[in-house]
Amino acid sequence: MEELVNIFVKSIFIDNMIFAYFLGMCSYLAVSRTVDTSVGLGFAVIFVLGITVPINYLLEAHILGKGALIWLGPQFADVNLSFLTFIMFIAIIAAMVQLVEMIIEKFSPTLYSSLGIFLPLIAVNCAILGGSLFMQERNFGNISEAISFGLGSGVGWFLAIAGIAAIREKIRYSNVPAPLRGLGITFIITGLMGIAFMSFMGIEL
Amino acid sequence: MKLLRNIVDSIRPHFGKGGKFAKFHRSFEAFDTFLFVQGNVTRRGSHIRDAIDMKRTMFFVIIALVPTLLFGMWNVGYQHYMAIGADVSFIDQIVYGLIKVLPIVVVSYASGLAVEFLFAELRDHEVNEGFLVSGMLIPLVLPVTTPLWMVAVATIFAVIIGKEVFGGTGMNILNPALLARAFLFFAYPAYMSGEVWISGTAEQLDGISGATSLAVLASNEGHMLPSLFDMFIGTIPGSIGETSTLAIILGASILVATGVGSLRIMLSVVAGGLFMGGVFNLFAVNDFMAVPAYYHLVMGGFAFGAVYMATDPVTASQTGIGKYIYGVMIGVITVLIRVVNPAYPEGMMLAILFMNVFAPLIDHYVVQSNIKRRLRRPVKAQVTI
Repeated sequence: MEELVNIFVKSIFIDNMIFAYFLGMCSYLAVSRTVDTSVGLGFAVIFVLGITVPINYLLEAHILGKGALIWLGPQFADVNLSFLTFIMFIAIIAAMVQLVEMIIEKFSPTLYSSLGIFLPLIAVNCAILGGSLFMQERNFGNISEAISFGLGSGVGWFLAIAGIAAIREKIRYSNVPAPLRGLGITFIITGLMGIAFMSFMGIEL
Repeated sequence: MKLLRNIVDSIRPHFGKGGKFAKFHRSFEAFDTFLFVQGNVTRRGSHIRDAIDMKRTMFFVIIALVPTLLFGMWNVGYQHYMAIGADVSFIDQIVYGLIKVLPIVVVSYASGLAVEFLFAELRDHEVNEGFLVSGMLIPLVLPVTTPLWMVAVATIFAVIIGKEVFGGTGMNILNPALLARAFLFFAYPAYMSGEVWISGTAEQLDGISGATSLAVLASNEGHMLPSLFDMFIGTIPGSIGETSTLAIILGASILVATGVGSLRIMLSVVAGGLFMGGVFNLFAVNDFMAVPAYYHLVMGGFAFGAVYMATDPVTASQTGIGKYIYGVMIGVITVLIRVVNPAYPEGMMLAILFMNVFAPLIDHYVVQSNIKRRLRRPVKAQVTI
């Protein structure tokens, strides 16, 4: 139990997808104009990460990894399908994003239209694939650890985009120098937020 | 007074349209308004008639900082002579502190104001008053051994990246003084942490060092801790302004009495720190966790941050409930970083920066919930009728 909490907290604050790895920057920069939209996208990312990471964990453990197919019979002990990792992960992610899209369109048409093209683009959001690949790299012991890691990464990404959206709403009437308006100042804010998030670096859980 | 007014008025035409120094009219304006309260008021938008404007508000903060500055100067001298074992008079200690501290203050003001005036002229906005406070806060949060060029680099970084790119005073999202310290902390860690806190001249002894009370605890040597009384009065090693809780309480009372600083934030930071300290006391597996919760209030920069940094009206939460959440979170995160994070013994700076980042989000949700609550009101009234 303690291990699960550690993984969860660590993936929110210390290994934050945005501030530690700079993953998923494209939608983070593009959709963070208003708090409500970015919170919607943030929840979608939490959902997708929380589902795809454990599913990909099962895939990795029982089908793709070296010797994972042994449950079919002893003659499969040497089969290594890991060259299929990327394509299988992407396929799962794309399917899940389709699911999310259908759910959002059904239950919140306003959010659906304000997210626009960025909702289907979650499928190619680097944070999502990154989550699955980090999961593979870190060799989690069981599926609950993978769930906790996926949810934690999603919450970390959610915090980042909600925080920057509130800041961007606040500075909307600021007299920012013309060349920096829009993306320029957003990059600077992201850097400053990164400094603030450095407070958690070095904590060993 | 009259004479000064006349001089200012007599040179005014040179800075007007077509005058010799028309380019520098922003700088002229800044000095003029610094000396005298303006007769004219804003041209557009609503405003409140009040004798106090932003320059005077900022000045109250500077007055509130004077006790910590004076105590800091004396403490620098006191620590120095104590470390080399000399028994000298009070005056000598003050003079030594003055020689050490004054250059840092001058460099911070000079470099910061130079950038402010440059931007004011280039971008044609008024010179911002906010730097009067930041320029005083920056020296107070630095260890006295910081090289002067570092002070200048950090100040310029904080003013440009922390403030001017957002459009100047009132627009920044992070506290500029803390940003300057964080910049030095991450860019030159060897100078900012560790045990080089006591000033020492190079020819005498190479780096007289003394551990801060937080560094003592981080290395799990709780029995080496100075007494609670010493930490409260402030005769301990530390950054220039942070050591004396007594002087800081004096400053806090000035801030609260004049209505410049928010008592809500100060109290909730203290409450958050005490709460988290209490939680760690329950576990108490090492010296840092076992130390009584109220010790956290007098150690390191906790009191200084709570009074002067967290209450910054620009970067703090603006809403009433938001201020409580913001303050409590700062207290909790500070103690959390101090105790849990082995990389940094002090957490105040980073906790405030972290909550600065999330203050707009807190405000957003407080405002939204207020709107929702008020929308429900008339409906409720109808039902009761």
